[in-house]
Amino acid sequence: MHRKHRRALAFVEATAARNLRRAGTVRLVVPTAVRVEAGWDRRAAGADAINRLRVDDAPLGSRAADLAVPVRVDLGVSVTDAALAAAVATAPEPHAVITSDAQDLRAIADHVGTSTTVVIL
Amino acid sequence: MAVDDGLTCGARRGTLSGMGPRLQRLLDLLDEAGGGTVGTSMRLPVHLRNAAGVAIELGIGASTAEFTVQGMRAVLEAFAQRAALDAHYAAHPDTRPDLAEIALATAELDDHPIASHPQLIRRAADGVQHIKDDPTPDDVLVYAAGLAAAAA
Repeated sequence: MHRKHRRALAFVEATAARNLRRAGTVRLVVPTAVRVEAGWDRRAAGADAINRLRVDDAPLGSRAADLAVPVRVDLGVSVTDAALAAAVATAPEPHAVITSDAQDLRAIADHVGTSTTVVIL
Repeated sequence: MAVDDGLTCGARRGTLSGMGPRLQRLLDLLDEAGGGTVGTSMRLPVHLRNAAGVAIELGIGASTAEFTVQGMRAVLEAFAQRAALDAHYAAHPDTRPDLAEIALATAELDDHPIASHPQLIRRAADGVQHIKDDPTPDDVLVYAAGLAAAAA
């Protein structure tokens, strides 16, 4: 069993515990650009389990794209990270980002100017 | 969210082992986009209805119906999330994180200072289970903070 798999589930469990205590406390969100990079096709048979964990999409629509462009230009980060920045900028605070690249994410959070907790997976 | 062939995402997902058909139906319905609305009558506590009216005046929401739908969805989503996790563990029991791991994840998400002391959280998870039935991750963090304060 992959260690990251169990650790990722611990984060889902943490949100589930909060939501069972008070419904709607925490939302799990994945930027659609991150899904593309991760190869997470919601229609795929192999995505059954993760689809059921109630993770909402943060789409890279017109407004999000406009927010992502300056992040990519100013910081030189990937399109995926810039899309994540747009998702963070538009989500109600507080938020936490679970990532394997803390350095880029901390720079992005500073750039966007939001209170973001960066957690290493 | 609808997909291009007209089926909902949920309807395409098959059935997880360990997941009953009624739970499957619940998940599919939660995933369904659109689908129209239905009129219903429900009895609301007067104070809650009046509080909703004040909230609408404050611009927090558009209608009592909106608040009701949001609340209902939040409760059902929480139940569905819990049920989906349990179904996953039924098929893959070795992936279930223990209480200490969940408490650590909770502390990390909250940027709680105790997150940098995973051994203390592990001790707290072991200890709190002796004094409380079915402790939550937050119970563990409170216990861990107590251990840290006692050691200071």
